[in-house]
Amino acid sequence: MPALEIRLHGRGGQGGVTCAKIIAAVYAELGKSVQTFGDYSGERSGAPVRAYTRVSDDPISNRNKVYDPDHLLVLDPTLLSDEVVQGLQPGGTLLLATSAPMESFVGRFEAFRLALIDATAIARRHKIGTRSVIIVNTTVAGAFVKALGLPLSALEHAYQHLGLLSNFAAAREAYEGVQVREPIGLEQRVAVPAAAVPAARPDVLPLTEHRDGPQPPLKTGNWRTQTPKYSSYLAPCSAWCPAGNDVIGFVQALAQKDEKAAAAILANTTPLAGVCGRVCPAPCMEGCNRREYDGAVNIRGLERWIADHGEVVLPVVTKHATPRRFAILGGGPAGLAAAQTLARAGHDATIFDGEAALGGVLRTGIPTYRLPREVLDREVGAVLALGVKTALGAFLDREQLASLPGEFDAVILATGLQKLRGLDGPGADLAGVQQGIRFLHHINLDGAARIGGHVVVLGGGNTAMDCARSALRAGAERVTVAYRRGADEMPAIAEEVEEARHEGVAFVFLRAPLGFVGEGGRVRGVELAEVELGEADDSGRRRPVVTDKRSVLECDAVLLALGQSAELSLLPAGWELREGRVHQGGVPLAVFAAGDVSTGDGTVTHAIGDGKRAAGRAMAALGLDVTPFARPDRAIAVPATDIRFDHFATSAAVRESLETPAARVRTFDEVSHGLADGLEAHRCFSCGECTKCDTCLVFCPEGIIRRKDAAYEVDYSYCKGCGICVKECPRKGMEMTAV
Amino acid sequence: MTQELISANHAAALAATLAARANRTGRGFGSGVYPITPQTECIELLCNQEIEKGHVVRVESEHSAMAVCMGFSVGGARSFTASSSNGLAFMAENVFAAAFYRLPIVMMAVNRTLGPPWNIWVDHGDTLMLRDSGWIQLYCENNQEVADTTLAAFRLAEDRRVLLPIMVCQDAFILSHTMVLTEMPAQALVDEFLPPLDLPHRLADRPRVIGGLDLPHETEMHRLQAIGAMNNVFEVYREVQASFLQIFGRALPDPIVPYRMDDADVVLVSMGTTASTVRAAVDEARARGVRAGGLRVNMFRPFPEDLLRAALAGKKKVGVIDRDLCPGLGGILWAEVRGVTEPGALVQGYIAGIGGGDVRPAHVTRILNELVALERADKPRIVEVG
Repeated sequence: MPALEIRLHGRGGQGGVTCAKIIAAVYAELGKSVQTFGDYSGERSGAPVRAYTRVSDDPISNRNKVYDPDHLLVLDPTLLSDEVVQGLQPGGTLLLATSAPMESFVGRFEAFRLALIDATAIARRHKIGTRSVIIVNTTVAGAFVKALGLPLSALEHAYQHLGLLSNFAAAREAYEGVQVREPIGLEQRVAVPAAAVPAARPDVLPLTEHRDGPQPPLKTGNWRTQTPKYSSYLAPCSAWCPAGNDVIGFVQALAQKDEKAAAAILANTTPLAGVCGRVCPAPCMEGCNRREYDGAVNIRGLERWIADHGEVVLPVVTKHATPRRFAILGGGPAGLAAAQTLARAGHDATIFDGEAALGGVLRTGIPTYRLPREVLDREVGAVLALGVKTALGAFLDREQLASLPGEFDAVILATGLQKLRGLDGPGADLAGVQQGIRFLHHINLDGAARIGGHVVVLGGGNTAMDCARSALRAGAERVTVAYRRGADEMPAIAEEVEEARHEGVAFVFLRAPLGFVGEGGRVRGVELAEVELGEADDSGRRRPVVTDKRSVLECDAVLLALGQSAELSLLPAGWELREGRVHQGGVPLAVFAAGDVSTGDGTVTHAIGDGKRAAGRAMAALGLDVTPFARPDRAIAVPATDIRFDHFATSAAVRESLETPAARVRTFDEVSHGLADGLEAHRCFSCGECTKCDTCLVFCPEGIIRRKDAAYEVDYSYCKGCGICVKECPRKGMEMTAV
Repeated sequence: MTQELISANHAAALAATLAARANRTGRGFGSGVYPITPQTECIELLCNQEIEKGHVVRVESEHSAMAVCMGFSVGGARSFTASSSNGLAFMAENVFAAAFYRLPIVMMAVNRTLGPPWNIWVDHGDTLMLRDSGWIQLYCENNQEVADTTLAAFRLAEDRRVLLPIMVCQDAFILSHTMVLTEMPAQALVDEFLPPLDLPHRLADRPRVIGGLDLPHETEMHRLQAIGAMNNVFEVYREVQASFLQIFGRALPDPIVPYRMDDADVVLVSMGTTASTVRAAVDEARARGVRAGGLRVNMFRPFPEDLLRAALAGKKKVGVIDRDLCPGLGGILWAEVRGVTEPGALVQGYIAGIGGGDVRPAHVTRILNELVALERADKPRIVEVG
């Protein structure tokens, strides 16, 4: 029997020679004589290579390369050419590793049995090779065995002998997935002739002469199996910002000393940069990849710095051709964000609010030592400057509310969390026990609330901290915060807790309030039960388990900060809030909920994001051509593992300077003086955004990356796809992609 | 023209110095040197010469010595070095490279037995080890030839039709350390004989690559070009001989040097100083009525096949005295001469004087007598002379 001859075409690094060896090993398992060898050249990884396998019943003495193969394997579709199929016998199998579907080969290679396998995808799934070079050989062998009708068990035995069993699962997947098209019209076909032995060869320049003119280029670009590409990837700070701020955008603008651009970027997405720069819990900093290195960039501080120092140029609003009329209920952050969004789109927006001034909880709840009112007024004023109208000083009743959809094209319901959680235990009606929110409202609006003695604050959120610290400023001798979980579980902003501690606020943890004890109708103590932490609940925090151990914490006043929720009972009869929209009798009304009333997230930044989203949904519902704001997907943000920390010198985050506890604790003046400058922006890794740092250019071993205009240009005719530029990029400004 | 009582080592050094100075209007002279007995005197003298635009670099090994020569040469300088025996063995990689780069370097090789066991005396095994290196090889018979051949070698090597390196070989101690009156030409004459080197593939301002990767066909062609250059050597050497005679008034030896060959029935072929001993034995045999002749091979590479075939035409008894040994074969010269003798001729190999044994006329007479009596060629015979 003449020897069965198999030729394989691949690229250096794909494992083609080993693939030919695997095929030989399979035939050896079947008792055949085999011979297999590679065709080596001076070129390196990625260069086209050939490998050969002969199979026979008799000993094989032919040592030549294979010119007229019975079967042909091509490991890389970019190699496919007439030269590659030269000599292949009609009816022979042409196995091609490609992601292209069989339909794309109509009219091509019809003389052969065409077998296709997406080996790269399979090998990548099985993590065979590296990120830049996927090794497909062991996978392709599985497809070959199936295409040739050889037993899979022989392949498994071969892998066992070759120490490749870890790759067998990929081979099995290829075995099961290979697509085969039988030859078409075989009888009319003749073999593709093998390349003839050349009669005359080109002259070779003597070594005693120099070649003048350009050297014949060795365009190594055809060695490439993957291609480096510059791109932008979502930075985690931006992905984590509920308000949808282009966080990396304004921080990088600041890093480039373009304060004006930074302010414009911020103003584009939020009406409340100065507010958020003070009171935001800063999810961006939680997501910041620098946290994994030497501490998150102080993004909140930078936002405040821009708002306080940047010159905001208000956008010129063009009135919509047919402006729609929107009523916005509630002038808190969600309402303001909705108003800004609608006004910028050229529509009429009117904010209704029961208070005398806009701001909602920012004005009624947050103390001035955290948020000076001139900052709030400035930002509210900027929203009003867009032409937003107001109707203040009177809460709408159900009837008035019910009539709004008839008077306006759409209504945005942004009423926040009006329902305050109380404590149903004994003594709740004792004098001296009051809702913290009410206490803050008095202080903030009336400016005159006084409180004395030992004040106990129940709760662990930001309202609790505001109550505790405001109580100190309003005359309390001492303040104790009692929280039912541990210190680590407190939802309050960590800096707030720390500042409260420095001001002398005491904390007792793992204590749940049961009721109050009084004397003469006035509260004299809180009865607390000791709590143990159990399993984690849905929020990831350990669930408090109340025990029998009780004690009384003596006090003179109690502020409740146990949580708030939406007050939906004030809605007109029949109104039903479902997925952020009001329905009546199953029919959706043009009434959209925004902010806490809808989501209950409880932060300014969430409210801004949801206000924008609700405004967008309302406009879209009216048939306007808008894409409602959607929060970016955190899951696709650049992870810290994609940042090359080695490229960055360590530096501690710059913190805001604070008034000393002794000086600040008796006044309502702002505690934080903010950052002195915007230099903290230089700590930004710029995750996923090229900063033109030249690292790719410097590390490219071929020297074929060049600056062009404001970007880089890779000379792909020489790029071997080594991946070093991508590997060295400090910030994931590029990645390897398929050729 | 002055006569000086000097060793052949010094003769080579002075000849190299004259050649070096002759390139002062060109790109000068550069040499990498490393000492080894019995070549040391040559490079010591060279190191002490004042050579305008000349650099003699003392390096740490023969391998580097040749590398330095290649660097100078490819930069367009005239280049020379000297070595011997195990030094040549260590240099071997770059010996091949110099030829494959087509660099006209001249090397004076003092033939010394390869060790171990260590032996500092003459045999030809060291340079013959490099017979396939692509170098031209000339084996001198006397001190004057060492001086003259060294000078002529630059002219031959640097000829555009050749551009190959040359080994000028001389027998250890017998020539290298033996002082005779040697004529050294005046610089003006040497200047006339030896024009400045103009290396066509010299590396200059423009960055270039030479000697990168060859594909099989390119190697075939590059070797073919080297063969062509070797084939040109005979013609160019004749021109060099004529010029040398005209300028210096002294003849260079031919590629092969016959002695009383015309009517000889029995011929002894040899290389180096053995040839002079053969002449004495031939004269002695002729006096006895034996029609003996001698044939010295001066140029071993390129192998003067046609000249030898013509010289040996009709000769039925040929003895070849090798001062070398290829274990498993015999003498290297013998093996090659067998291919150019008359069909049916008796060609007997003798190995005499390896390890530096003093081959005396009596030894050659004994060989001659044995050869006259011999009816069939036998295995090569080692003649014990030491």
